Parts: sequence; C-alpha cells; structure tokens
Amino acid sequence: MKLAYWPGCVSRGFTPELHGSVAKVAPLLDLELVELDRANCCGAGVIAEHNQELADTLNARTFAMAQSVDGAAGMMNICSTCQGAQSECQERLDISGSYRAEVNKHLEAEGLSYRADGGWWNKNFLWILAEEIGFEALRERVVRPLSGMRIAPFYGCYIVRPTKRLGIDERPERDQYLGLLIEALGGEAVEYAGARKCCGFPVITMNRTTSLRQAGRHLADAIDAGADCLVTPCPLCHLNLDLQQPAAQQYVERDLGIPVLHLPQMVGLALGLEPKELGMGKHVVPTDDVQRKVADLAAA
Amino acid sequence: MADFTLKIRRFDPESGAPAYWADYDVDLPPERSVLDGILQVKDREDASIAIRCSCRAAICGSCGVRINGHSALACNTRIGEAAERGRDGVITVEPMGNMPVVKDLVTDMEAVHWKKVRRVVPWLVPAEEPPEGREYIVPAEAMLDVTQAMACIHCGVCVSACLSLEVDPDFVGPAALAKAYRFVGDPRDGEHEARLKDLAEDPHGIYDCTHCFACVEVCPKDVAPMNQIMRLRRRATDDYGIKDSNNGYGHEKAFTTIIERWGTLHEAQLLPRSFGDGSLVKGQTRPSAVAQLVESLPTVIRGLRSGKVTPRKALLHKKLPDQKEVQRIFDEVESHDERIELNLYIIGELGEDEESA
Amino acid sequence: MPQHDVLVIGAGLAGQRAALAAAEAGASVGIISKVHPVRSHSNAAQGGINAALDPQDSWESHAFDTVKGSDYLGDQDAIEIMCREAPNELLELEHLGVTFHRDERGRLGRRAFGGASAARTYYVADITGQAILHVLYEQLMKFEEVTRYEEWFSTALVQDHDGRIAGVVTRNIRDGAMELFGAKAVILATGGNGQIYDPTTNALICTGDGIAMAYRIGAPLMDMEMIQYHPTTLAGLGLLITEGARGEGAHLYNAEGERFMERYAPNKMELASRDVVSRAEQTEINEGRGFPDGTVALDITVVPRKRIHEALREIVNVGRDFAGVDITSEPIHIKPGNHYVMGGVKTDIYGQTAIPGLYAAGECACVSVHGGNRLGANSLLDTLVFGRRSGEHAAGAVKGLPLSEPSKASLNDEEDRISKIVDRSGTGRRVSELKAELGKTMDKYVAVFRDEAGLNEALGIVRRLKEEAETVAVDDKGTVFNQDVLGALELQFMLDNAEAIVISAIERKESRGAQFRTDYPDRNDDEWLKHINVSANGAEPELSYSPVTMTQWEPQERTY
Repeated sequence: MKLAYWPGCVSRGFTPELHGSVAKVAPLLDLELVELDRANCCGAGVIAEHNQELADTLNARTFAMAQSVDGAAGMMNICSTCQGAQSECQERLDISGSYRAEVNKHLEAEGLSYRADGGWWNKNFLWILAEEIGFEALRERVVRPLSGMRIAPFYGCYIVRPTKRLGIDERPERDQYLGLLIEALGGEAVEYAGARKCCGFPVITMNRTTSLRQAGRHLADAIDAGADCLVTPCPLCHLNLDLQQPAAQQYVERDLGIPVLHLPQMVGLALGLEPKELGMGKHVVPTDDVQRKVADLAAA
Repeated sequence: MADFTLKIRRFDPESGAPAYWADYDVDLPPERSVLDGILQVKDREDASIAIRCSCRAAICGSCGVRINGHSALACNTRIGEAAERGRDGVITVEPMGNMPVVKDLVTDMEAVHWKKVRRVVPWLVPAEEPPEGREYIVPAEAMLDVTQAMACIHCGVCVSACLSLEVDPDFVGPAALAKAYRFVGDPRDGEHEARLKDLAEDPHGIYDCTHCFACVEVCPKDVAPMNQIMRLRRRATDDYGIKDSNNGYGHEKAFTTIIERWGTLHEAQLLPRSFGDGSLVKGQTRPSAVAQLVESLPTVIRGLRSGKVTPRKALLHKKLPDQKEVQRIFDEVESHDERIELNLYIIGELGEDEESA
Repeated sequence: MPQHDVLVIGAGLAGQRAALAAAEAGASVGIISKVHPVRSHSNAAQGGINAALDPQDSWESHAFDTVKGSDYLGDQDAIEIMCREAPNELLELEHLGVTFHRDERGRLGRRAFGGASAARTYYVADITGQAILHVLYEQLMKFEEVTRYEEWFSTALVQDHDGRIAGVVTRNIRDGAMELFGAKAVILATGGNGQIYDPTTNALICTGDGIAMAYRIGAPLMDMEMIQYHPTTLAGLGLLITEGARGEGAHLYNAEGERFMERYAPNKMELASRDVVSRAEQTEINEGRGFPDGTVALDITVVPRKRIHEALREIVNVGRDFAGVDITSEPIHIKPGNHYVMGGVKTDIYGQTAIPGLYAAGECACVSVHGGNRLGANSLLDTLVFGRRSGEHAAGAVKGLPLSEPSKASLNDEEDRISKIVDRSGTGRRVSELKAELGKTMDKYVAVFRDEAGLNEALGIVRRLKEEAETVAVDDKGTVFNQDVLGALELQFMLDNAEAIVISAIERKESRGAQFRTDYPDRNDDEWLKHINVSANGAEPELSYSPVTMTQWEPQERTY
C-alpha cells in the first residue's frame, strides 16, 4: 500500500528512534511511504490556539501535498497529536466550502489546493494497522509473538477525543485499537487507569507540577497494574513519559523506572526486528528489561 | 421491555460504612435513560438511593454522574447504549469525580464547582452605563458566539471529567473558565483585560488546562469548555499581549515564531523562548528564565546522554525547504484585519454548504 | 433562628427577581430553595419573553392579546400592568447581561409566538428561561446581602397570633436538620404543580408546594381549574417542544397529511392560542385522524436549517436524545400535554395574598394575568414583573415592623409530622404508586376535554389517595439527603393541589380557556365570567367567587 507519509516534527527531533523504527517496520508491512519532506508542523493545537485560520491553512497545505502523491491511498501520520490537530483542521475545512476556498487561496502560490472529497483520509499508523492492514493479517506476519509481555497502552488524548471528530462514534473499536493490537502481537494488554488520560506534556512549560503529576501518576498506575512497559502512538506523550520520567518521580513521590515504547517499536519487535534497529537504546528510561524479555522469546 | 442491571455506588455517611456497590434490575425499553432506570429502582425497590434530578431533559443539570466510568447526565444517556458499553452488560453508576460525595450519587457541587464559578467574577461588569430606554447595541454574531458558553447548565460533568483537576484541585476548571469566556466574549463587559490578566497570571488559571479534550467529550450541551479556554488564551496573548509569569504567552509565541521561521518545530529553542516571552535572548538571559532553564537542565542532560539528541542536532535545526512558503502563509493570514474563526457550534454540523433552500 | 425582613421561598425567576428587588429596596433578604437555584424549572422556558418594545407595537395590543388569550377571565388591571412594565423589565434584564438575540443592526431581535398579533417575543436561542435564570443567579452571587439557603425544603408556613405571616419551617436537605425561619414577609415563588399529571412537561420538583402551604393556612386559591395542556409535547415522556418551533414557521399535520389547523383557526393557524391548538389536536386524535401512538406531527423541516440551528438548538437535542428523531429532516410526533397552571394563590397586583405578610409570585400565584389560558412567552414576563413587584412591596411594607417571633410549636409539629413518616413501617402502597395513580387519573379526567362524570371519578380517587397518603411509609430512615421523606411530603402537597383543581373544574359549568366541558361546550359569560376560589375550611374545601376586573375590553367571541 502506497501512502503519503507525514512523520511530524518530534519524530525527527527529540524522538528520532520513532522515525527510524517506522522506516524499518514499514517495508515488513508492505507499506510504501512517500515522505512529505516539504510539509510543515501541524501546529499541535498551539497554532490553532493562536490563530485558527493559520493552523487550518498550514494543515490544508500538508493535506494538499499528500493528495498530490500519485497513487497514494491516503496519508499516514505517526503522532497522536498530529492526528488530533490535523483532524480538527480537516473537520473545519470539510464542513464549509466557502471557508475552504478562503484557505485554499493562500495555497495558490504553490499550486496547491485541498480538495474535500469524503473518501480522502489521514490516519495514524495505529489506525492503518487496524483498518488498512487488519489485525488478522498482522497476526500472520508476527514472527516473534510478544507472549508473556505485559504492555500498558497509552493512547494520548488527541487520538481518542473528541470521539465524534475522530470517527470513534462510527467505529467504537478505534477506542480499543492499542489494546487489540497488543493482543494481536501476542502480548498482554494491561488494564490501568491512565490509558486514555493526559500525559501532561502540553503544560510542561506552563505548569510543571500539573504536567509531571499527570505523567507520574499514569506511570505509577501502570507499574501497579503489573506492566512491563508502556506503548504509545504519540511522541509528545513519550517525551513526558520517558524523557521526563526521572523528573516526574519527585512529583508522585515514588520510584518509577518503567520503559515506554513507541508504537512502531513494539510492532517491529513482533515482526522480528532487533531492539537496536528500533532505536531502543535511545530511551531515557532503559529498555534493557524489555530487550531481555524479547531476547528470551522464541522466534516463531 | 428489556432487562438491565444497574450497579450503583452507594454511600451513606451516617452508617459509618465505606461506599459499596449494589446491583438492581430494571425493565425499560432500551431508548429510555439511565435516570429512568434509577428512578424505577427508587420507585419499586429502594427509595433511599440519593440522586439529584429534576427536568429529565438535560436542561436543569442536576443528574451528573459517572456511567461506566464516563461522566455524563443520567437523563440523556440511553440505558440500552450504556448496557452495550458496560462490562458484561452491567451498567455502573457512581457519583461524579473531583468532588466530595455527600450521599450515594450526590456530590458536593458547592465545595468545588460553585466555588470555582465565583472565582471568575461571574457577572457582567458593564463597560458603560446602561443606555436610557434601550438595550446595548452589540453585533448579532457576538451574542451568538457567547451563546455557546451560555448554554452551560452547570451540571459539573466537565468538572468531574477534567484531567487537570484530577492532579491539581486548585485548577479553576473547565466550567468556570467557560463562564469566564462568556464575559470576555461579551462586548458589553468592560473588564476583559482585567479578567484575562487575572486568569493568565493565576498558576491554576487558563494555562493549567492540558488541552486533553475530556470536557469537550463529556459536555452534554456542546459548550466545549476547552475551546472557550483556548479562546481566552488567544485573547490574552494576541489581543491584550498579556505576558504572564506562567509562560503561557511565551509558549504560544515561542511555538508560532519557531514554526514561522523554520517550518517545523525547533525543539531546542522551545524551552528558552517559552521562558522568555517568545524571545530567545530574553529566555537565556532573564533571571526567571535562567532559573527555569536550570531546572530543566537535568532533563536536557538525560536527553543528550540517551543519544536521542545530539548537541549538533539540538542547536542546528534545519529550515524546511519551503520555509518561505510557510512564512508567506503566516504573513498573509496574520495581515487580516480580523481573525477568521469557524465555530461549528454556530454554523452547525452540516455546515453552510448543505443549507436547504 | 435565622431572621430576615423578607424571606423568599423558591429560587426560579420569580423568586430570584423578588429577592433582588427586595434587597435593592433595602430589606434583609433570605432565599430558600429545595434545589440549587439554577436547577429551577424556569430553565425549561424555551421560547422567550413577550414585551411590546418595538415602536410599531403597543402595550395595549399586547394586553388585548393577553385578555383574549385568557378567554376574558384574566384581570385586566393586572394584565395592563404586566404589559406596560414589560419593556422596562426586558431592558433591565438586557442591561444585567442576558444575551438576547440581536438583529443585523445589533438591536434586540424578535420572533412570533402563539396568540399574539405582533412578533414581540424576545429570546436567547431556545434557552431563554435558562439564560435569564443564570443571569439573575449571577446577580445573586454578586449581591451578598441576599442570603441563599440552597437545598432547603420548606414544609409549612407559620403565622403569629394575629394571623400575620411570621416565618416558615424548613428542612436542610443536606443534613436533615429542621429549622424555623423568622420573617416579616414571606414571598412564595415555588412554581407550578405539573407533577400531579403524568405525563407532564414539568420537572420532578414541580409539586405545588407553595400553593399547598398557602392553602393550608387559609389563603384562597383561584382559577385552579385552568390547567394548560401545551400543544407540542413528546408522547410518553411529556417533554416540551417549544412553541418557538411554530413561531419559526413549523406546521402541524394529522396522519392524513392534512394541515388541520386550517379548520380550527384559519387566520392564525398553528399560532392560535395554546388551548385552541391543543383542543384541535386532541379532536384530530380522538376522531381517528392521529397516528397510532395517539399523536399528530409537528414538521419543523420547513424552517431553514441554519435558522433551526441558531434558534431551535435545544429541541434538536431533545428530538435526537429523547425521541430518536432528527427534527431537521423529519416530522416529530407530538400531542397535547400538561404544562402549566394558570391558577394559584390568589393575589392582588402587588402579589399580596389574603394572609397578611404573605405574597406569591410566578406560577404558584394567580394575579390573574392568564385567566383561562396563558399565552406563550407571557409566563417569564409574569414571573419577572410580579416577582419584582412583590419584592418591592414586601420590602416597603415591612419597614418599621418588629422582628417576627414565630412560635416554636410549629417547628415541633413539623418535626413530629416528619418523624412519624420516617418511623412508620410500610404496610400500604408506596409513595411512587400513589403518585403514579394520581398522575394517570388527572391526565385521564382533568385534561383537554372534561365532563362531570369523569371529574367526579377523579375527585373520588384523589380523596382516596389523600387518605392513603396519610399512612405511607418510606425506605429511607436517615437524615442526610433523605429524598424519600421529602417525596412523601410532596405527595401530600400535590394531593391538595389536585383536589382544588378537580373541585374547581366540577364547579365551572361552562367551557372557557383551558377548561372544556363536553357537557357544557359553550362559554357562558352570563353565569361564569367570574373567578372560582377555593379555600381550606377544615378538611373540606370551600368554594367562592370573585369578579373579573374589566378595564377596557368587553368579552367578544374568540376566534383565531
């Protein structure tokens, strides 16, 4: 399947292991990714907070670039925040023709135009796995089932709320994909309170206490529920859950130390890739325990 | 008729016993509400179950509870749908979160919600004396715009669901901040700047919202409190240039400036610029900014040590090949006289294109 | 003992308006409500508030429409006051912050409403009552001089030896503590009694508490037979679809696709008075031209989508959430349903009842501005104008009066009465069963069409239920938030209301406004152009009459 691919900023910035692991995993899933290397930041909700039309125009530009990739089935992102911020803009652009025309005017100079045809989509890698590849087909490709691994799903707000905008009202299982995926890969999805809560990243510069209490609490809940690691489709969540994890400890007054995987890293492990190839050495919280478990897993 | 099981969280403060779960069976058509189910239990079996309720039509805002863990009004949650979402078909009903429980499903709204509402000076402070013998003349759009915030019925469902409140009980919270926007968006009010300044400077004010959409998701009246908070921020930063000590202004300016100049996020500059009202120089020299940078230093060092970030990458962020186009879009959009905002609450889900003749 | 100059019971629009007016006039004010004020049923007033504010309009026109709408039973002096004071009342609300709809020039926008000869209904989408209620509550929060007693349940009014009102006995719902409040004046603003009907548009709290409390201490009730059935309520649940829908142009159809109002009100069509439209619908249904579920159809799809979204948002939600119907794309089934009591505690134009120091305002009162039938969007106006007038008058009247000293005996009596209920072990039927039987009875016999036999049947049932209610037991034996025992008290209030309604309906042997007697199908001005009053005289209610005040409008034949 050919896809226009928007990696986002953070996957090429402070979580390079995310971008790298997608590059390794995609061929194993027969995904042909055409990277939108001229596209701009989604705005992460912050640009929309500053100026809605600006955010909508910047994302319309990305969508228009994706639409002009020949033969692409749609656009793929690898960041919950990109998904949410872009879906919000897309919702506005799709609903009003006059507004869309206004926005498209700013794209004319580049010969771009966003077309709202009901069929075009922008899906997170998680949704691609579930809806375009399918968990059944994925299961057949698993060479190293993650059996015995207890994995706590951490969705990130932007990919689960609001349910109406994200199509979860029509496809309620979208709210469950991460858990279903973990099981399809042979692992055990851990139930805990924090799966759909906020990592706190958006306020890390504005209210460090709120931010790190949130991150710390969810990590602690996952640990208490017996998880070996967390997995998230959102690199911003990853920053707060992994990069900031040592700092978060003091806000929940306990030791943490639980590894946090990026979604494609987890998929890559099950598809037989080695932790090193997936950049699992580039985490702040060491992934050694997970690596050891993986090493112990018999290759199927 | 269908049979449903309600698992209700009971709590009697007089008993000295902790809260417990009790199961009740009801028979109702699936399109009836969870509230109808609870009332049937009260009518037939146990009238001691306490729940505030009155209008049965999602207007009075009395019956906020958590159904299967989700904050909602009991009266506009269909019992059949709740059963589908409940574990093993059982519908759990418990009191709202983030507020103390008085008895069974009754929470202390006064101690949390109303206290926060009173925090935002919840009345109109007119900019000028009322005109003699006529109304204030204000644009129709402005009145429609604040109708979304006015639609709030103070049910507390967003307060219950708020993920910031969960970790910071002092957060002013979604409902009260939506109420604040109701005045900030009202052209008749004369205290816009003072209100915004107050809520921007409060460490538990508009910049304590983590933008998690929980309130947007649960609001039974489509008030979208988070969107109102974002509008408060937009007005605070862009209309009044309020440089708050919470870095709210700085964060927005830092982010937008970086995207404007590079096209993608230059993460290494986000922190210092956020601490310096958007300016890199200020963010590295101003004492308050330096202190915050120092606080962040261990994180930075850990990032470097993990190998995910190299000093070279941190310092030299490559511009997007098309950065000039991004810059042009910024210039064009921001040169408008007025910001264009498309509020789906106002234009409707179908949008204007589908307007019937 | 908490003491106030003026004590307001009920915190809907009438109560809050009264409290603010009394406070502004310098009185010390307490406001007691069994629910938090913003939960009050004024919330449910969707459509708007009438005022002849437009220079092309006149208060006389508004007054005449009201008089005609009342089927000439309204007191014209009171109606004149209400219509004259309407524009200022409206402007004052606007100045306080109500976000009334604007036209393109930024001036107040209007919509058409039933029974009105001009578009004079001002509104906030279809949440007008809520918007006003919240703005008044904002003012209450601002004026800390007004002491709020939120979630306190009033059980009985207390008089002094001379019969003057002295206070009220209440129960703090939060902890069950009984408290005697002293007051120089008490303003009842406790709303209507729709819960005696099933179904009803009214909220669960509308149990006629104030009407019954006043009645029990001897205040006469007036026009109680006049019960409004709203033309557009959802079958089964009884939820309201605003008259604003018809005001915006929606049509009514029977099952044969016929716009039947052509036959009943060829000029005003769907915007005839509510009694007229409800009777027309019920006739269609009774004669077999309704849908199998006993309804007719309201078609809102003729209203432009954008306008629906802007002005009728709430009923889109009600249709979707409670009937599973997208009203923007298909008609919705509706029927007449219990909505409003035109009658109530008889008052003068200052809200004074027959008991010295006791006032009533809003739906629990009968001034009478609505007579036999209330016009849509006149109820908000009634609550505000007469709420304010009561508050102002009470504040003025108590100046110089000594503190009241209500007797503790009444507190003890009420404590005993409640402990008896709580301590009783269950033998008879449950409160909910009695309430259900009452509701079905009233909706069957005391509805749009009535006759002697049915009304007598209803009276028998109501009196039997009153006896049963004396011995009901409750499940909840606790003190904190014991809603069960409050339900038992409310049931007794409701039964007093029901009895007054039924005996008044039996007494009025004619058809006027909301009272249509199939055995007396015509209006009879010679004998019945007068109010019927009911007073408690021991156990037996006593009937009397009072004249209708006429100023400038002689009764005419009423056509729309």
